[in-house]
Amino acid sequence: MRLISRRGALAAPLMAFLFAKLPGKAFAQAAKPADTEWRHYAADLANTRYSPLDQINGSNFSNLEVAWRLKSDNFGPRPEYQFESTPLVIKGVLYTTIGSRRAVVAADAATGEVLWVHREDEGQRAARAPRRLSGRGLSYWTDGKEERLLYVTIGYQLVALDPKTGQRIPTFGQGGIVDLKKDFDQDIDPLADVGLHATPCVAKDVVIIGAAHTAGNVPRTRKNVKGYVRGFDVRTGKRLWIFHTIPLKGEFGYDTWEDGTENIGNGGVWCQISVDEELNLAYLGVELPTGDTVGLYRRGDGLFGESIVAVDLHTGERKWHYQTVHHGLWDYDIPCAPILVDIPVRGKIVKALAQPSKQSFLYVLNRETGKPIWPIPEKRVPKGDVPGEWYAPTQPTPSKPPAYDRQGFGEDDLIDFTPELKAEALRLVKNYRMGPMWTPPTVATPEGTWGTLTMPNLTGGTNWPGGSYDPESKIVYVYSKTEADVMMAVKNTNPAQSDFEYVNVRSIPAERDGFKAGVLRVQGLPLVKPPWGRLTAIDLTKGDIKWQVAHGDTPDEVKNHPALKGLNIPRTGRPGSLIGPLTTKSLVIIGEAGFATTPNGQRGAMLRAYDKATGEEKGAVYMPAPQSGAPMTYMLNGQQYIVLAVGGGNYSGELIAYRLPPA
Amino acid sequence: MTFKTKLAGAAAIGVALLGVSYTSLHAQAAARTVADGVYDAEQATRGKAAYEAKCAMCHGVGLEGADAAPPLAGGRFLDNWKGQSVHALVTRTRTTMPLNEPGSMGMAETSEIIAYILQANQFPAGQALATDAQTQQQIQIVGK
Repeated sequence: MRLISRRGALAAPLMAFLFAKLPGKAFAQAAKPADTEWRHYAADLANTRYSPLDQINGSNFSNLEVAWRLKSDNFGPRPEYQFESTPLVIKGVLYTTIGSRRAVVAADAATGEVLWVHREDEGQRAARAPRRLSGRGLSYWTDGKEERLLYVTIGYQLVALDPKTGQRIPTFGQGGIVDLKKDFDQDIDPLADVGLHATPCVAKDVVIIGAAHTAGNVPRTRKNVKGYVRGFDVRTGKRLWIFHTIPLKGEFGYDTWEDGTENIGNGGVWCQISVDEELNLAYLGVELPTGDTVGLYRRGDGLFGESIVAVDLHTGERKWHYQTVHHGLWDYDIPCAPILVDIPVRGKIVKALAQPSKQSFLYVLNRETGKPIWPIPEKRVPKGDVPGEWYAPTQPTPSKPPAYDRQGFGEDDLIDFTPELKAEALRLVKNYRMGPMWTPPTVATPEGTWGTLTMPNLTGGTNWPGGSYDPESKIVYVYSKTEADVMMAVKNTNPAQSDFEYVNVRSIPAERDGFKAGVLRVQGLPLVKPPWGRLTAIDLTKGDIKWQVAHGDTPDEVKNHPALKGLNIPRTGRPGSLIGPLTTKSLVIIGEAGFATTPNGQRGAMLRAYDKATGEEKGAVYMPAPQSGAPMTYMLNGQQYIVLAVGGGNYSGELIAYRLPPA
Repeated sequence: MTFKTKLAGAAAIGVALLGVSYTSLHAQAAARTVADGVYDAEQATRGKAAYEAKCAMCHGVGLEGADAAPPLAGGRFLDNWKGQSVHALVTRTRTTMPLNEPGSMGMAETSEIIAYILQANQFPAGQALATDAQTQQQIQIVGK
């Protein structure tokens, strides 16, 4: 056997000489992994928030170090404490919206050094806007030659910037700006109630923009701005199409509104949008029409409230729709992007989508036709007692996958660490109505019952960060929280505050048996038993839950509570609305909500990594504050980075970048 | 010089050598927690009125929170703020709230609202909460 040829043997001393002479780096560079980018809010137009990177993995996650930080304090007139952005990385440059101005910065993705800053000063238009602070981030477009960044300002204007300089692109709209309060198929004031946190959806040469309004259980008026969706030309800013999420007379769906649609508004798409470029379809998740929890003025099913609507990317023409809640009364807006998934169904690969929700159902539909992959039967649901209210007789109830968080409210849901706590909880709930999923809000009076105890809470379940998807194993990962809510319908006594006859509140000034109405706590502890935050893996090849773990270390208030002394309480998870997971080749990476004392004694929260196949926790690193923006990852100069926004409490918003220590 | 005088002199030199002044020692001894009676009932009453006018529509009459507005009473609120100074809570509130008019309240009004929040969290009343940053920085928020 000749392993070494004569030529090879002669070359050996020369090679040894060369090896000795060349710096070690040369060989590291030869093997260095290629740079990667992050060009969309959630990695791609399918909103998978997935990356195949694996340099950071289960064996080294706990060794991560802070590579750099970017504080948001001075990108605006005051610090921001709810920094929700997921930044983009393109060609080694990081881009994000940031600060109370919703400025845009470019930063060196290896060091965090700021390269340029862009800002729009909108005066009153921003000061009076319904959706402020820096929002979810921005978007990127290129045709291979030209490139631009696009974002929606606090005052609801669409801006196009040159990524090299941060300057507006003069050929887009009017000097780089499109005023989104114009050309909106409705006559509205520059200070009208419409804005957006979501990033623009950019696909092919189209930019799709949704709308958001003031959060509304006590809406000022039912005649609010309508949240229509529009598509714009990415080069010129010209409006290509508009989709009426609230149909006009004569349009499809108008007949599902018993009171017509002339005097109602909202119905915006405030969540992230997904696009299938092959099918040329955009998937829009619509929120509720005016009156998130009171439907007096929108009797009937009310298309397209709480519906997923598939529209043609270039014309906005509706191809199909699926309503997840009929005449909703629980504020279960579609909060996040439907994830586009290609899954095996009876031996064939089907183009589908998986929609996480506040109500903790994952709706899995064929994305070409809108038909459910597994049956979603209509189930009969209870009526409520609000005078003049209309109640849908049934609600869609997926047969598969099973609900991934608790639904409905019963005695079994109550805190039960000790018999005393449970007994107190049982006395507390006597003041309220309780019932299964879809029990509506009820009238609350100080002398009567205090409304309906409800789960999921009106902020979820799952909220805007949405889920993540592993295209290899066809598993959706989704975070949800378990938190008691109370739906109180009260007669409105303040016409200046709202033109609704009944409004929905979370507390009224009333007390009974030592309990204050709306205070859902037992000796300071949550009314419902844990887990209070969980991460679920849902296997789309089967429609089953593969694993589920409590996510978030037990809060200090539980660890230190005198009534719980000596008890061995399993990790409870922690609830938060800003929490969403990132999936990589082997891990699901997700930060905690809320502050706690971390293992090294410092106050903060942990960024955790779970084995994506099993849910076993593989590692955790310290963050000075809870997660506030969903994480992203990229490879740059041979190093993998994980970047996320954190903040809350006394800690103002900050981007933190982690990477492994030098080898 | 009497022995006593010598001793006092030596002590004064010792204290000076340690670089510690009488004033700062006094200030350190005054460092308190919110459990020590750090607001008075009048402030809490005025704070309640201001809270109900400006804060309750989002944070709730019972301080239980709603939607994006977090709870301001209970274990979760205290977990998020314990270890921080009262000044930090006052500053956060004063610079970012109310949502539709941030920065519109001064130290006095914000401190009264914080006094009401402390009362709602069952911390006892006591001496009035001063509205200067330095005093407020010396008062630590604690859990229960």
